[in-house]
Amino acid sequence: MRIVIVGNGVAGMEAALAVRRREPSWEISLISEESDHFFSRTALMWVFSGQMSHRDIEPLERDAYARLGFRRVRARATGIDTAKRLVSLAGGLEPVPYDRLLIASGSRPRSGPWPGSDSRGVGHFVTLQDLAWYEDEVHGGTSRAGGPPRADAHLRASESHSPYGFRDVSAKRRGRLARRPAVIGGGLIGIEAVEVAVAAGLRPRFFIREEWFWPIALDSRESRWIADQMSHHGVDVHLEHEVERLAADADGNVSAVHTNEGRYEADCVVIAIGVVPNTSWLEGSGIELDARGGIVVDESLKTSAADVFAAGDCASVRWFDGTRRPEQLWYTARDQGRVAGQRLLGDSLHYQRGAWYNSAKLMDIEYTTAGLVNWNLDGEKAWFFEEEGRVRSTTRVVVQQNRVVGFNMLGRRWDHSVLIRWIEEQRTLDWVLAHLNDAAFDTELVPPLRISGA
Amino acid sequence: MDQQGQNGLLTTYREGWRNRSAFGLFISLLLVSFYVVLYWEHKVQEQFGVAPFTAFSEAVGLRNRWYLYGLLYSVAMVAGAIYYLRRHGNSRYNRYRITVNVAIQIALGFTLPFIMPLFGGKEFYFSYFWPLKYDYLYPQTLADLPLYLSLYTVVGSLLAAPVLAVIYGKRWYCSWVCGCGGLANTFGDPWRHLTSKSTKSWRFEQVSIHLVLLIAIATTFLIGLDWLIGSEHPTFHRIVAGNDWRDWSIKSFYGFAVGSILAGVIGTGLYPAFGPRVWCRNFCPMAAVLGWIQKVGRYRIKVKPGMCISCGNCSTYCEMGIDVRSYAQADQSFTRASCVGCGMCAHMCPRGVLKLENSWDRPEDKERQRLSVVDF
Repeated sequence: MRIVIVGNGVAGMEAALAVRRREPSWEISLISEESDHFFSRTALMWVFSGQMSHRDIEPLERDAYARLGFRRVRARATGIDTAKRLVSLAGGLEPVPYDRLLIASGSRPRSGPWPGSDSRGVGHFVTLQDLAWYEDEVHGGTSRAGGPPRADAHLRASESHSPYGFRDVSAKRRGRLARRPAVIGGGLIGIEAVEVAVAAGLRPRFFIREEWFWPIALDSRESRWIADQMSHHGVDVHLEHEVERLAADADGNVSAVHTNEGRYEADCVVIAIGVVPNTSWLEGSGIELDARGGIVVDESLKTSAADVFAAGDCASVRWFDGTRRPEQLWYTARDQGRVAGQRLLGDSLHYQRGAWYNSAKLMDIEYTTAGLVNWNLDGEKAWFFEEEGRVRSTTRVVVQQNRVVGFNMLGRRWDHSVLIRWIEEQRTLDWVLAHLNDAAFDTELVPPLRISGA
Repeated sequence: MDQQGQNGLLTTYREGWRNRSAFGLFISLLLVSFYVVLYWEHKVQEQFGVAPFTAFSEAVGLRNRWYLYGLLYSVAMVAGAIYYLRRHGNSRYNRYRITVNVAIQIALGFTLPFIMPLFGGKEFYFSYFWPLKYDYLYPQTLADLPLYLSLYTVVGSLLAAPVLAVIYGKRWYCSWVCGCGGLANTFGDPWRHLTSKSTKSWRFEQVSIHLVLLIAIATTFLIGLDWLIGSEHPTFHRIVAGNDWRDWSIKSFYGFAVGSILAGVIGTGLYPAFGPRVWCRNFCPMAAVLGWIQKVGRYRIKVKPGMCISCGNCSTYCEMGIDVRSYAQADQSFTRASCVGCGMCAHMCPRGVLKLENSWDRPEDKERQRLSVVDF
C-alpha cells in the first residue's frame, strides 16, 4: 500500500504516525516544499527572538524519518491526477504515485490587497521562509544555533508565488537592518510579529483596522488592557487605521505605510491579515473546493475524489455551529490528522469538533477562552470581574437564559476542559462562581482568585 | 505583580557565551581549571611551589581553602540568583524557591560550618545527606560526630529525605535545599537550555546514575565492613579504606572519581558546554534514590488536555533534558524520575498547559498510560 501525504505539518505528520503505528511495512511518503523536518509552526516567534533554536521547535528527533521509514520528498506539489493516481511535482521531478492520498497542505498567508504590497521589505510571518526573511530584516540572520537546511534543487523549482520561496531582503539592499518595522493586522500573528520586534529592541508600529485589538475574541475592556501592555512595551498601537497603500523608495524598498490617518515611515512591513487554504495548486484536479478555497470534505475527511482525504488548515470541516469552513488551529489540525490517519488505514471514523476553546499569551498576559464568547446570542448577558492586586486578571462569564455558555479569561491560567464540562452540564452563574477555583490552573503558590461581592 | 509565565521574550540563542561560542567554552575551561587546582593543590604546590587557594584563604582569614570555596560558591549563587530572578522572578514559585535555596547555602552551606568550630564544635553541613555526602554514613564519621549530629545524619538520610520525597517529590531537596542544585539553578541558569534532550542522552543517564548509586552503596558497605573487621585484615583495610590518595583504595577512588571528577570538574566545569545539571542528571546517587521514590510518590507534572501547541519551550528550558513536550502533546500527565521540579517548563509554557503538583488524586493517569502515546 502506497500512502502519500502532501505536507509535513502537524496534520500530515500525525496521520503518518497513525498509519505507521499499525502498518510497519506500508510505503509512506511525505511531500514538503517548506522543510526537511516536521516543526511547530506556532513556535516561529521564539526562534526569531532567540528563545528557541530551529532544532528546539522540531517535536521529533531528526532521525525520525529514517527510523519510521518515511520517505521525504522535498518538492512543490503542483497537481493531482485522480484518474492515474499521481501527484505531480514542480521542476520536472518524477510524479509520485499513490494508493491513498492525504492532502494536508495547510494555509498560506493572505496577501496584502494594497498597492505596493509586493515591495521589497514587505512579507508575512507564517512559513519558515517568512521567518528567515524577517530575521534577515531585523537581526541580519538567524540565531547562533543556526537555521534549517537552505534551498535545494527542488526549491529552485518553486514558483514565484509560492509561500515557501526565499525573498529579497531590503536590509541587505539598503545596507542596514530595519529600525522601524510596521505590522498590519490585529490578530494573533500580528501581535507575535510585534512582540518579537520589541524583543529585538525596536519600536514597531501596529496598524489595526478595528476599534480595538482582536475584537473577534476580546471585548473592549479586555482589549484595552492588552493595548496598554503593548504601549507600555514601546509599541505604537494605531487603532482604526485603514491601510491605503505601501510606499517604496526609488530602489524598490518599502519606505512608508499610508493609511486614512496619514503617512507612517516604515522600513520593514509584516502583513498579518489572516491565512487562506493553500490549495491553489489543486485547481484543475477535479477536487472540489469551496468559495474560500477550502477542500470540501465529508464527516470522515474524504474529498470528492476516491481515496483522497484532506486534513488540517486546508480542509473545510463542519464546525460545532453547523457551518463549514477551515479550522486554522494547531490542535484541530492535530486531531484531524489523527482521524485522517485512521481513514488512510481503511477505518471508518468521523471527525467531530467539540466545544470551542483556545488559549494564547498576548504579550505577557495569559488568555483562555471556552464556549460561546462574542457570539451575540439572543438574550446573552456577560458577568465581568476585574481583579487588581498581587495578580491582575479579568474574568468574563457569558450567560444565556440563566445557563453559563462561555468564558473569557485573562491574566490567570484555567483548565478549559473543566470550563467546558460546566457548560455541558448547564451550570448556573452562581454555581460556577462558587466553584470557579476548581478550574484554576495557576502555577503553585499563586493566590487563588477571590471574587469580591459574589 | 505576580504573573503566571515568562515575562517578555528571551534572547538565549542570540547570546554567544551561552551557546558554546569560543568565549563560552573559555568560561568552561576556566571553571575546569579552577576545580583541578582546587582539588589537587598539593600537585600544584609540588610543581610551582605555591598553593594559591590556601595562601589566599589564609590571607583573608579563612581557615582553609574549602572555606574559601564555600565563600566563592555562595557569591556565585547570589550573583546567579540575581541573574535568574531578573528574568524569571515574576513567578512566585521561582522567587520563593531560589530565595530559600540561596539562603540555605549561605546559612547551612557556609556560615554554620565556618562558625561551629569557633565554638569547639565539628564542621558540619546540615543541608547534605548520604549518599550525596558519601562519608556521612561511614561508621568512622558517625563515631566522630556528636550524638545529635550522628542521629541527624542517619535519620535525615534514611528516613526524612525519602519521606519528604514521597510527599513533595525530589524537588524538596534537589531544587530547594541542595547546594549542587542551587548552583545549577543560579550560576548555571544561563546554560540550562544546553542539556541534551536526545533519547541517547536519556539512555546514558539511566545507566550512569544507577552505576554511581551502586558504587556508592558498595563503597559505604565495604567501609562499614572495614570498620568492623579492618583491624584484623590489614590487606582488606588497605584496599578498602587506605587514606592516602596514592593508594587508590576504594574509599579514595570514590572520593576522586565521584566527589572530585564527576561532581566538581565535570559536573560544574562543563556548565557552559552541556548545561548545568550534568552531575545531578547523570551521576548524583542521591538523585537516583529520590528519583525512584518520586516515581511512586505524590509529585507529578499535570498536563491540561488538548491545549499543547508543541512549541517546545518546556523541553528547551528543561535543565534535566526531559522532553516535556512529548508528554504535553500526548495529553499525558507524568512523573519522571529525573525531574527536579524547578518549575521552568510550566513557567515557559505559553499556553499554561503544565502544572507541578503533589497529589494522590490522579485517576486519569492510568487510563492515559495504557494508551502509551509517547512511543514515538
